[in-house]
Amino acid sequence: MTGAPPVAAEPAPVLVAETISKSYGGIEALKGVTFAARRGKVNVLVGENGAGKSTLMKILSGEEAPTSGRIVLDGAEIAFRSPGEALRAGIGIIHQELSLFPNLSIAENVFAGRELRGRGRLVDFGQERTQAAKAMARLGQQHLNPDTLVEELPIGQQQLVEIARVLAEDVRILIMDEPTSALSNHEVDVLFGVMEELRRDEVTVIYISHKLDEFRRIGDYVTVLRDGSLVAEAAMTETDTAWIVQQMVGRGQESLFSRSDSEAGDVLLEVVDLSSPGVSGPVVDSISLSLRAGEIVGIYGLMGAGRTELMECLMATRPVTSGEIRVKGKLCRTNAVAGRLDMGLALVPENRQRDGLVQTMSVKDNVLLSSLSALVRRMLLPRARETATAEKQLARLQVKSPGLEAPITELSGGNQQKVVLARALLTEPTVLLLDEPTRGVDVGAKAEIARIMTELARSGLGVLFISSELSEVLALADRILVMARGRITAEFEAGHVTERDLVAASASETVLKVEV
Amino acid sequence: MSVTTDKSVAQPAAPAEKTPKWSSRVLLLLLKGRTLIVLVLLVIVFRAITANYLSQSNLILMTKHVSINAILAIGVTFVILTGGIDLSVGSIAGLAGMISGGLLYSGLHIFGVTIFFSAAVVILIGIAVGAGVGAINGLLITRLGVAPFIATLGMLYVARGLADLRSNGGTFPDLSGTAARGNTGFGIIGVNSWLGVPVAVWLMIVVALVAAVTTTRTPFGRRVYALGGNERAAILSGIRATRIKISVYVISGACAALAGLLLTSELGAAYPDTATTFELNAIAAAVLGGTSLFGGRGTILGTILGAFVIGFLSDGLVLVGVSSFWQLVVKGCVIVFAVVMEQAQQRVQARVAAR
Amino acid sequence: MKSRSPRRTCGVTLGAVTALLALSACGGSSDSKSSSGSTPSTTTSESTSSTAAAGGSGSKLIVIITPSPDNVFFKAEQVAAAAEAKKLGYSTLVLSHDDDPTKQSQEVDTAISRKAAAIVLDNAGADSSVTAVQKAKTAGIPSFLIDREINKTGVAVSQIVSNNYQGATLGGQEFAKLMKNSGQYAELLGKQTDNNASIRSKGYHSVLDQYSGLKMVAQQSANWDQTEALNKTQTILQAHPNIKGIIAGNDTMALGVYAALKAAKKTNVIVTGFDGSPDVVSSILKGGIKADVLQPASQIAQMAVDQADKYIKTKSTGSPEKQSVDCVLVTPANAAKVKSFAVLP
Repeated sequence: MTGAPPVAAEPAPVLVAETISKSYGGIEALKGVTFAARRGKVNVLVGENGAGKSTLMKILSGEEAPTSGRIVLDGAEIAFRSPGEALRAGIGIIHQELSLFPNLSIAENVFAGRELRGRGRLVDFGQERTQAAKAMARLGQQHLNPDTLVEELPIGQQQLVEIARVLAEDVRILIMDEPTSALSNHEVDVLFGVMEELRRDEVTVIYISHKLDEFRRIGDYVTVLRDGSLVAEAAMTETDTAWIVQQMVGRGQESLFSRSDSEAGDVLLEVVDLSSPGVSGPVVDSISLSLRAGEIVGIYGLMGAGRTELMECLMATRPVTSGEIRVKGKLCRTNAVAGRLDMGLALVPENRQRDGLVQTMSVKDNVLLSSLSALVRRMLLPRARETATAEKQLARLQVKSPGLEAPITELSGGNQQKVVLARALLTEPTVLLLDEPTRGVDVGAKAEIARIMTELARSGLGVLFISSELSEVLALADRILVMARGRITAEFEAGHVTERDLVAASASETVLKVEV
Repeated sequence: MSVTTDKSVAQPAAPAEKTPKWSSRVLLLLLKGRTLIVLVLLVIVFRAITANYLSQSNLILMTKHVSINAILAIGVTFVILTGGIDLSVGSIAGLAGMISGGLLYSGLHIFGVTIFFSAAVVILIGIAVGAGVGAINGLLITRLGVAPFIATLGMLYVARGLADLRSNGGTFPDLSGTAARGNTGFGIIGVNSWLGVPVAVWLMIVVALVAAVTTTRTPFGRRVYALGGNERAAILSGIRATRIKISVYVISGACAALAGLLLTSELGAAYPDTATTFELNAIAAAVLGGTSLFGGRGTILGTILGAFVIGFLSDGLVLVGVSSFWQLVVKGCVIVFAVVMEQAQQRVQARVAAR
Repeated sequence: MKSRSPRRTCGVTLGAVTALLALSACGGSSDSKSSSGSTPSTTTSESTSSTAAAGGSGSKLIVIITPSPDNVFFKAEQVAAAAEAKKLGYSTLVLSHDDDPTKQSQEVDTAISRKAAAIVLDNAGADSSVTAVQKAKTAGIPSFLIDREINKTGVAVSQIVSNNYQGATLGGQEFAKLMKNSGQYAELLGKQTDNNASIRSKGYHSVLDQYSGLKMVAQQSANWDQTEALNKTQTILQAHPNIKGIIAGNDTMALGVYAALKAAKKTNVIVTGFDGSPDVVSSILKGGIKADVLQPASQIAQMAVDQADKYIKTKSTGSPEKQSVDCVLVTPANAAKVKSFAVLP
């Protein structure tokens, strides 16, 4: 594999970004990137968080203007002033963060902003319903009533509505920013089927993903960004996973996850018979588990299995009907989050925009939010102490930020996640709870988070984390619990379990006790 | 392994404009300081029209007039920072004034005897009443889940009604007290001066300083901002939302009561209509000063400046002799203009940040 | 937070409300000591006379509607009208519209649904009250207007007002005399939407403008409000430190003016008011406010009830619709004899 790529066979580029640069408040997000999307192909764009993928997409979809450089569509230079203009030119985008109206129905969401008009300029609801149902059926969701409110759907199906919304447009170029991060395997298969269809229709797809297995299945070309620069470009057939990871992080995949080798110590967290009520039956159903010092325990399961709800019960944000929670043998009595933090529990929530960040505050204030009391001297917060503490914590987690006083919203997604983690660690927890800590996070940040988790376990903490990624759970956890329907359906020791075991347990109806 | 194109990191980046245009920066600075600039403009304009606008005595007087609204607005700012609203402050001021006025004028009738308290105790009772009403607001909002707008709107009527009930609608005409009853001295806070500056202004300065330090330098203040910025995230960070929320309504009620006492003391009489619609002036001052009604953004200094703009504007218009109808029109325009400026600031800020 | 039982929460809130009510009501019994008059009639009170059912057919209810009794003047109207009605064997319903025409309209509806025999009304606006009075008339209930007129005749049976213009000329003359016919003065106007505010101002100026030595340097509305009068006076004193007198459109404003003068240690500035309220009268006795124009509020209210009684019995009042009662000047000479908006002989 040393020959030059077959240039002649390459389809013509339809959309080209030429030497694009973009800086935010002194931080350069893109440094002279030239990227070409090939007509009728799936062009995969990969890179760590903060590598500049999302920025490039925002520029291509007209959400933001580049600091320098130009965009060429079909050979002519263009400058979009709004996503609407880009859409009219045939460029549609599906965002990573959902941009739906939860209070509207599926049909209304699909046609939001470009309602179908019937007689007398009134909205033609009948037509909208039919077409929305058709678009959802194309995504394998024919059973969904288009009148269902979006907020009533699980997050995976919400993502599909988002996709249907763009599919209902006649787009020639479709940008997809991590469209599968919330989808089940079956839903991913359906989506890929649709993408095949689009490819046949000569639609150009620009596909951003962190999931190597996935984009290797669907992609035609892969482009790797690192630190705002374009590092490599290749036809998918000429690459392999190891090469892509190498390009992204500058090192091999082997070093991504390293399991903690620490000995399990005393029991730190003990949960006995914990239950929490839901609309139809308990969402957490007599869960018992224990976590020892130095242990990393992963909870695997499908969406809706009750994993997040279990974490919420542990942090006292969800009512509990029965059961006991003990930290270091002490019973948790208070029903306030603050009380749980005092006991030594800390949670990094799944949805950082909704539950993690205070968007109006600075990076520093976000980091310190949970540990203000510890910083107080003579009733006040000494500035020097605040700065020193925040700086130390940010350096420890290698957060890239324009400054302590910068608004948190100026950080990239991965760095925002690290800020939430930094806040949790500042409370000096004995047990760290992580809910999908690597969701929407790139390979590099994943490795870092894994490194931090291992380090923490070595220093004697107990780490309990939720993950929907099989490879991650298998590589990281010393022990794996599988949840389904609010119950723990299986428990495995590391090294004695296969992906197949986990999948089987996550779908099982009965509780299996697998002895190892 | 073949690589089609390997554009290494070492490749020079395209020349990017790293610093925002100076014009944008200047514009942003101007917009950030807009309340102060409006205030300076007001002073310049009125100075040009009326000779003694800037005389020492007039400045002191205008500041005294501002102090009432500023104290109300500081309390309201705490509430707005958490994303709430307090419409009841004007009524609380009236109620506190009436309860204190009643205690001074006719005392407390209990077990068949009439007890008179000293002026200082009466003042403390008045403030406690305000704090108590604020606590009820807070309990309604946090424990019973009533929306802040509704809870405090209800309290606007209830507190005003209670103020009326206190005297059956009448006025307590003379609050100077008598030596025999040992309750003289209520006038000190509203009438007297210290070092040539009215006590009311000193009180405003003290309240403002305490509030500014509380918001910027204490965990409580930080939590207030966090709660207004993202309540769910704040709660998950261990912030006791209920406690903080009740506290801000207590602060707001206490500030309102203090303002009511100052009004009553200055007038030397308490009547139930005291401070009617003052809540709107207080909210206007906070908004003028850059406090976001969505919560999480705003400063005490901004609120104080906002109160000064409103006060200096209305006093200036009276000084010039503008009719009361035009005074309303001008005040309304200034408030809307201020919010337009805030929007402009956010746009420019986004633009500068995007460069 | 979620574990807190709602019952306990209710208890806490209720307890706090009760405590507040107790604190608020503790002064209720001291009512007679306040300036609001000697009869403990509340804003909305209903009382039935013991000598009811005095022959007449149908209803024996007279509905009395006035602006807020926060102002002792309206309080006096309510008290006098209610007392006279009771004396004549009627039951009464006393309501306040707080100068809100909408509220007034609703209260007239109440009178209609209660099948009142008559309405005694101090209205909420010369134009905005016409419809409400007409509504009562259509429903067969006669209205007797006091204190303020409406801009239409033939709708109400009587419109009895104090002669505001005559009173203002009296006040103007006394003010000019106190000013020794020269010097700077300021005027505080009432709510500029209120007819009486402009009539009084015109009355003042019909006298004051004749003296070339008298110079008005400021004219501001203080909306009948005490605090506003205080603040505006302070500002006016800044602009015009050499002011010799301030003429106010009513008594609450005069009291606000006097509080400002006292704070500025300028009590030698001449202040006059309009209404004849007890607070101003007592200030005159102490040498504070210099003069006041007394509106015979109690007398007018009594007249209205008397005429209502006569109209109910005979279908005629025997008087023209529009009647005016002259105002009386109150000075230190006769102030001691003033009681409840009447100068005792």
